Amino acid sequence: MPGPAGPPISNLRAVALLIKWDLFKIAHRAIFIVMRSVWFAIQVIFFGQVLSHMVNSRLVGLDPSSYYRFYLYGIYTSILFTITASRAYDLAEEFEDGIIEYQLSLPINRRVLAFGRAVGGGIAATLFTLPMYATVVLLAGERDPIAIAVSLVAALVFSIAISGLVITVTLSIKSSDATDILMGALDAILVRLSTIFYPAAILKSVEPYYYTALVNPISHIADILRILYSFEEYRSIVIAEPSAMVSYVLGLFVGFTAVAIYVIEKKIEGGSWR
Amino acid sequence: MSELKKMWLISLRDLKRFIALKYWLAGQLAMTLADIFVFALLLKGFIRREFIPDYLRFVTPGAVALATFVASFSIGREVGMEVRRDIIAHLLALPMKRTTLALGRVFSGMLRGLVYQIPFLLIAALIVSPPPIERTPLLLATSAVLTLSMSSLAIAISTISRDFNVQATFRALTYYVLFFFSNVFYTKTALELRFPQPLPDIIMLTPISIAADIYEVVFQLLHLYRYGESPADNTLVHPANLCRDPAIPSQPYEEIASR
Repeated sequence: MPGPAGPPISNLRAVALLIKWDLFKIAHRAIFIVMRSVWFAIQVIFFGQVLSHMVNSRLVGLDPSSYYRFYLYGIYTSILFTITASRAYDLAEEFEDGIIEYQLSLPINRRVLAFGRAVGGGIAATLFTLPMYATVVLLAGERDPIAIAVSLVAALVFSIAISGLVITVTLSIKSSDATDILMGALDAILVRLSTIFYPAAILKSVEPYYYTALVNPISHIADILRILYSFEEYRSIVIAEPSAMVSYVLGLFVGFTAVAIYVIEKKIEGGSWR
Repeated sequence: MSELKKMWLISLRDLKRFIALKYWLAGQLAMTLADIFVFALLLKGFIRREFIPDYLRFVTPGAVALATFVASFSIGREVGMEVRRDIIAHLLALPMKRTTLALGRVFSGMLRGLVYQIPFLLIAALIVSPPPIERTPLLLATSAVLTLSMSSLAIAISTISRDFNVQATFRALTYYVLFFFSNVFYTKTALELRFPQPLPDIIMLTPISIAADIYEVVFQLLHLYRYGESPADNTLVHPANLCRDPAIPSQPYEEIASR
């Protein structure tokens, strides 16, 4: 990236450089990659297999193999969310190391900086989870290239939205410790209060949980992936109408990115990190 | 100062550091509470009753074992950091035997586990059933053995290398294997349906599985349905069975669950 004294760069090039920065950051987290890969492998090979034999899938009109596929899409969404949310730790570290201040001083429009970081975070997380996504598609026996392409776009849009949320939260609370606890707790609670492990009909047994799942973006993206592959099989158990779910995810993408732009453009100054 | 006193001081120092890790503690608490009050509560209506009649009560004693394990295992992070930053050299230079230092760290892992498990013991007493007073020594002995063994394991893993990546990878691998390859979330019958022997038997004999079984006995879930057998037929030789009080007749699980 050129320094403050360098020539002005185009917005598109600035976004490309910011995406490259986020890719560089995630590629250098070897230990994180190993840990998440092991977690994913155990979930898919072991936990999901046993759970699919224990649940009464007929209760929601599925057979055990359908439930296993249901679980696979859920667990992919879970890891995509966790990895995107983990960008918060990177951002906190960058703020502590003065990299955020450095980026604010670059000849890059703040609006472009915010957009670039949100898109960069989303792309980095989606690329990082590609091997896991390929595993899920293979295990689920999916072959439809259009469904695969559309679902990847949906995953990317979701990931950029969460990346925008993470930027907003991390740069608003301006504390590594608070970021640590908030993201850890959010991850633990949101993943369980969604349709990752159980369909919406099961969540209805505890109404507050159901309403939380209804506004939880994780539920919507997991169910979008499910109906993209097996519309007839899953359409009766998803959390909302397909068009409503797509609109919700797109709305989050626009909303969270806009809020991230607002925070970086209007609220961030150097030296305010705690 | 006696070696015992030195060991006690080391353990207390580590316990204070553990309590100071409030952000880590809050995250762990949120995760375990979510496992009980969200995951298990929701799956209660979704798990086949022939496998587990009440999933919430099934998971709760296991969650106590998991929470205890996680807290005692956390000592590995501290020791790993001390090895990497050469703080260990300072500790080794202190006027005490190496055995005292090592045992002090192991005991500090035990204290972490014992302190951290208190709220989960209360939750288990509320959700399952309060443990009878005569089983309290069994509860304490199980917790002590579990925390001592897991703390020792975490310390051993953290000293295999000075490289952070190697330390963290081995710690994470051990953590995931012990966490998921236990009977906290599933029964032996369910495991046998999907995986060939000896894997289900091995899983039932991992430290967390054994602790979960004993906690189940302590909290009076007398029917060891983790094995998928009726109490009368349960002849499997297992530490938890040895702890069962023959004076207390086995009750049908439904009877206990309906309380």
